[in-house]
Amino acid sequence: MPSLTARSAFAASLIATALVASACSASPAASPTSTAASTATATPASSYPLTIDNCGTSVTFDQAPQRVLAIKSTSIEMMLALGLQDRLIGTAFPDGEYAAQWADAGDGIPLVSDKVPGQEATLELEPDLVYAGWESNVTADGAGDRDVLASLGVNTFVSPAACQEPGYQPERLRFDDVFAEIEQIGAIFDAADRAEALVDDLQQKLDAIDPDARGLTALWFSSGSDTPYVGAGIGAPQMIMDAAGLTNIADDVDATWSSLSWEVVVDADPDVIVLVDSAWGSTQKKIDVLESNPATAALSAVVNHRYLVVPFPAGEAGVRNVEAAQSLVDQLGAIDLP
Amino acid sequence: MTALARSPQVTAARTARGADSVAGRTGLLILALAVALAASMVLCITLGPAQISIAEVWSSILARVGIGESALTPLREGIIWQLRMPRVLTAGAVGAGLAICGTIMQAVLRNPLADPYLLGVSSGASFGAVVVIVLGATIALPAAAFGGALVALALTLLLAGSLGRITASRTILAGIAVSAVLGALTSLVIFWSATDDSYREVLGWLLGSLAGATWPTALLAIGAIVLIGAPLLLSARTLDAFAFGESAAAALGIGVDRTRWALLGTTALLTGCLVAVSGSIGFIGLVVPHAVRLLVGSRHRALLPLSALTGAVFLVWADTLARTAFDPRELPVGVVTALLGAPLFALILARLSRAS
Repeated sequence: MPSLTARSAFAASLIATALVASACSASPAASPTSTAASTATATPASSYPLTIDNCGTSVTFDQAPQRVLAIKSTSIEMMLALGLQDRLIGTAFPDGEYAAQWADAGDGIPLVSDKVPGQEATLELEPDLVYAGWESNVTADGAGDRDVLASLGVNTFVSPAACQEPGYQPERLRFDDVFAEIEQIGAIFDAADRAEALVDDLQQKLDAIDPDARGLTALWFSSGSDTPYVGAGIGAPQMIMDAAGLTNIADDVDATWSSLSWEVVVDADPDVIVLVDSAWGSTQKKIDVLESNPATAALSAVVNHRYLVVPFPAGEAGVRNVEAAQSLVDQLGAIDLP
Repeated sequence: MTALARSPQVTAARTARGADSVAGRTGLLILALAVALAASMVLCITLGPAQISIAEVWSSILARVGIGESALTPLREGIIWQLRMPRVLTAGAVGAGLAICGTIMQAVLRNPLADPYLLGVSSGASFGAVVVIVLGATIALPAAAFGGALVALALTLLLAGSLGRITASRTILAGIAVSAVLGALTSLVIFWSATDDSYREVLGWLLGSLAGATWPTALLAIGAIVLIGAPLLLSARTLDAFAFGESAAAALGIGVDRTRWALLGTTALLTGCLVAVSGSIGFIGLVVPHAVRLLVGSRHRALLPLSALTGAVFLVWADTLARTAFDPRELPVGVVTALLGAPLFALILARLSRAS
């Protein structure tokens, strides 16, 4: 029963976090947002050594990490959103520019590599934590195998939403999972107060979203041309579309992202198409793909240019998901449908 | 005296009768497979992730020829006419072409492991394709793949030619060298510049996929079969001669070197067209000729057309499976051809060994 194991694993990691981060957390299974909402009491400091279970790997922090290499935009932006830019010794594999609100904070942090740096390049930086957006970033073909890095004194942390192992991959990603990562990072860096403030802020913004009520269907077109790669039923795209009031035409596919056949897309004829804008796959390129095949060119969303745009980093689980949902609602407001 | 005089006539008559019955049987087989191909295509157009009934498909087809009204919305019309039709036609043309090319390569190079990609054509096409995928210009993909295939072919033949007379083994070795270099360059490009997203496209293309089929690609593939593939079917007698070896072919009055050049060049040209459309779909060009040879013998007059039709039927079905088996996802068809084709081939081998 994957749901139970997923929850218990999730709960286990929460226990670790909660024990150190929040003395007033009554139950480890309680919603992380409810614990975070208790702003009245002062947040206790994290106590080290702090051990967490991250995607099935046990990671022990003897102190708050001081020299962090962040790989992928979601990790980089998590650090910036928590005001931890002074801990970043480098960034790698960004999916695009910094969001405007963090442009100043991110200024001056060296970009180590456009792609995933290799093991030696990683070790040369002497980080005490590699914070990765994807599990594949911390393998021998990437910045280094997790266990090998750990044996050299370099901790690794992978965004829990990106865990692939059964029992660790969120069964269906929720904003609470995203907020839990914020709190976990807060605990690791002894910055639980900032994490709580950020979660409170995001929760308020999330609560303030007025989802589109027209019952529109949508395709989350992430990439691809011959075969589209789309946001499927259990990942961040689904979560964001849910919050915006959109029905994902691929919500029955049990995956975070998935390839989908064009025939299915044409058959579903979504009301709107969400285009993911990334450094390597512009929205214009995706529109060209849609318009180049007569079958997809006839889709009502294509004919009427009913496109919504989401920047790539905002579409992966992280601190920009709430903003992405609000942005979808705003963009939907500008779209007239018969 | 009379006995001596009569016996050659008798033998000749017998041979003629035997040839007639073989030709008749081949003709029947060709007819049967052609009917099977047409039926497969019509049936496969009605199959797909979108639920469109056979009756609806037929009403749409009949409406196009002016009989009645289509029962389908314009979008569902699009699914049939812009997605399935060109795809099924492309599959048939590519399958037939690969089987023809494989048969000819095996005969000309006298090597049972020869396949259409042996001369570096697929590595060249892959290199061209991967470069445009990584650059983000996927619209130019067929042109780049075709260009890459031609460059690879030219390199292989130049290398083989620079070693002296172009023999079968020199050609194969030159092909291996060119493939290795182009394969490494392809890997280099992927490693250097592919991002998460283009990895998937590159992989799909390297495994062979018909997901990008449109009417222009279908017409390209069919055009290649008609203009390049059909003339190759006429080379049966030459191929039979090659099967006995170079000296035998020369003794039969065939200019061995020139003929080999012409056949290899034409075959590679056809392969280049097919790879440009579908990526390098494996297995068909290698195994379909063997399977058909096991069943009908190695006379190319029968082998070539029957291989072509078998390859077409096989790829039409393999691709239908690729796009329906994991609905709503799709598999690259190259995965299906090998996964499905290898056991089928093993079955034919086993049955024949038991029969003999």
